[in-house]
Formats: sequence, structure tokens, C-alpha cells
Amino acid sequence: MDYMRLMAEEGGYSVNGPMQVFEYDLFGMKLAFSESIVVEWIVILILGIVFFILGRNLKVRPTSKRQVIAEMMVSTFSGMVSDSMGIRYKKYTPYISALFCFSMLSSLMGLFGLRSPTADVSVVGAWGIITFILVQRNKFKTGGVKGFFKGFIEPMPFMLPFNLIGEVANPLSQTLRHFGNILTGMVIGGLIYYALGTFAIGVPAILSLYFDLFSSLIQAYIFVTLTMSYVAMAECD
Amino acid sequence: MYMTLLAEGSGQTYLSLVDINLNTIVFTLINTLIIFLLYRFLVHNKVMAIMEKRRQAINAEMDAAETAKTEAEQAKAEYAERIQKSKDEADRIVAEAVKKASDREAEIIAEANQNAARIKQQAQESIEQEKRRALNEVKDQISEVVVLAAAKVCEKEISQKDNAELIDSFLVSVGKED
Repeated sequence: MDYMRLMAEEGGYSVNGPMQVFEYDLFGMKLAFSESIVVEWIVILILGIVFFILGRNLKVRPTSKRQVIAEMMVSTFSGMVSDSMGIRYKKYTPYISALFCFSMLSSLMGLFGLRSPTADVSVVGAWGIITFILVQRNKFKTGGVKGFFKGFIEPMPFMLPFNLIGEVANPLSQTLRHFGNILTGMVIGGLIYYALGTFAIGVPAILSLYFDLFSSLIQAYIFVTLTMSYVAMAECD
Repeated sequence: MYMTLLAEGSGQTYLSLVDINLNTIVFTLINTLIIFLLYRFLVHNKVMAIMEKRRQAINAEMDAAETAKTEAEQAKAEYAERIQKSKDEADRIVAEAVKKASDREAEIIAEANQNAARIKQQAQESIEQEKRRALNEVKDQISEVVVLAAAKVCEKEISQKDNAELIDSFLVSVGKED
């Protein structure tokens, strides 16, 4: 949040989107390459190392705490998926677990003075798109072509527009909830820095405990829980 | 406080606060896929594989334990049966011995009774014999005594004929007393 403080010192407080690292042309389109993606790469690096260490050298008879942690993590996620989606959806476990880790660590990046990728609507929106795709796919898989289209005119045919809106509204609300929470935390943190000025000691840390640490965990959990329930609910009878 | 769209601050370009950026979306999708694959192949599959292996190992152990238990129970039943058999055998032997012994006992008793009866009979026979012999002896002696007494009483020689009559009458009276 250093750049916010810089702005605060300039006499005003402004909230920006992610910094544009560079721009490139793709078939004439100008595409901005933002800070969010760079921070995501850092997250991938950290998670890659953590996953590698956790999954290395596993034994049938666990001898290390590392393995116990890895097994606990996997069985916790498996239990979560089985509980909220049912055992037949257990193949979603890796995606849900990965999404949870990705979302949580992305939000936690705010603790290290980086801009959380989850405070970027495009990042969370991408996950919303994945949810949307998974929901439609599950509808198609469980109901076939007939069930898929029939789902839109249930319980009455005139409900069609509402059902169509609902299909988009679910992932959208999920996206905006996550994005909004993290962004708000960031904005409030910046405001506190701005308000306290040179006395910004202690208080921001306590607030950061809630907005960064607690909120990161809770929002990641809520996001994956909603993803699970949307996908499971999409099942056609 | 003001919000900027693509603010120009500190020489940096910022995207807008709520900016739907196609590039970010595409790269996030790619990054999510990478994290998904990393998690799936580095942690999930490995841990699941090891858990499955453990499950199988435990199952195998439990199966082995069950088999061993069944075998032990079989062996136990077999041994119990054997012990019962030997007990029965021992009982049978003892019963046989007891029966033999009691048979022998009865036999011995019967033999003894028989012997006793025989001895008793012999004794009776010999007693009879002795009695008879004694009687005869007594007869002889008495006849002698009577002859002597009579001779003394009568102080005379009694004829052979009178003698014999006298003795006979005496003996008859003795025999009657018998």
C-alpha cells in the first residue's frame, strides 16, 4: 500500500486499479499487462514451492509433520467437497482446493505491501467465469440437451428471463462479493493511513489483521463454498 | 477523495478501479489452471495415492489378522476336541479298569466264598470223622471200662456171651442218648 501513502502525502487520497506494468499489441488490440498478473505469478511461485514440499517423499507410514499437514489439508478439502456437494462430486476437490489456496494467498499478498490480485475484478471475474462454465457443464452432463434447456423454463415458461438472469447473477454476485470485500479492506486500510498521517503506527496493523488476514480466509472460504453449491445445485433431476 | 480512471501518478499508469481487463482475465484463467495442475499433481494425487495405499495395506493387515484369528480358533477347537477325546479315552480306561477290578473283586469274593464253603465242608467232614472216631474210641474204652467195672462189681468172670449182651444193651442206651 506504499503507493497509497505516496498519494496521501501529495495531499489527496486516490484509489486506483492495479498498476499497468506494460502494454502490448495483439492483432492491433492494446492489452495492458497489470500488476495483478505479476502478483499472481508470485503466488504461483510460493504455492508451487509449498505444494512441492508438501507432496514430496510421502510414506505409507507417515514419519514427518509435513506429510501429516499435507494429508490433513487434502482430507479437509475432500471432506468439505463431499459435505457440500456430495460424494459423487469428489472429482471437483482439486479445483476447489486449488482455488481456495489461490484466492487466500492472493488476498494475503496485501500483507506484504503488494496489491492483492483479488482486489481486481478481472481476476475474481475469471473465477466467476469458471463457476459459470462448471454450472452449465454440470447441467448438461446431468440433464442432457433436453434437461439443459428445460431447466430454463421451470417451473413456468414465463420464468425464462428470470432464469437466464439467475444464471449470470450467481457467478456475478459471487465475484463482486469477493472482489468488493478485498477492495474495501484495501480502501479502508488506505484511508486509515491517510487519516493518521505520520501517526500511522499500530492501528493500521490491527485493522489489517481483520481486513487482510481474517477477510482473506473468510472470502476464500465463501467463494469456494458458493462455487460448490452453485455447481451442485445445477444438477438436473 | 477522488477516484481516477487510468490515473497518472508517480509516472505510473494505473488501470481503473473496476476495470474488466481481458488480458487479466485470460492470464488469471491460465494461472488458475497452473495452480490447479500444481495442486492436483504435487499434492492431491500423491496424497490420495498414499492414502489409498495405506488403506489397502490396512485392509490386507486386517484380512491377515482375520485369517490368523480363524486359524487360531480352528486350532483351538481342534485342541479342545483332542483334549476331550483324551479325556474320554482316560475315562473309558478308568471305567474299564474299575469294571475289571470290580469283576475281579466279585470273582475273588466268589472264589473265597467257594473256598470257605469247601473248607467248612471239609472241616465238617473231618469233624464228623473225628467225632465218629472219638465215638468208636469211646465205645471201645467204655466197653473196656464196663467190662472192668462189671468184673469188679460182680467179682466174677462173666461169660463171653453175657458180656456181649451186656455191652450191646449198654451201647444201645448210649446210642439213644446220642
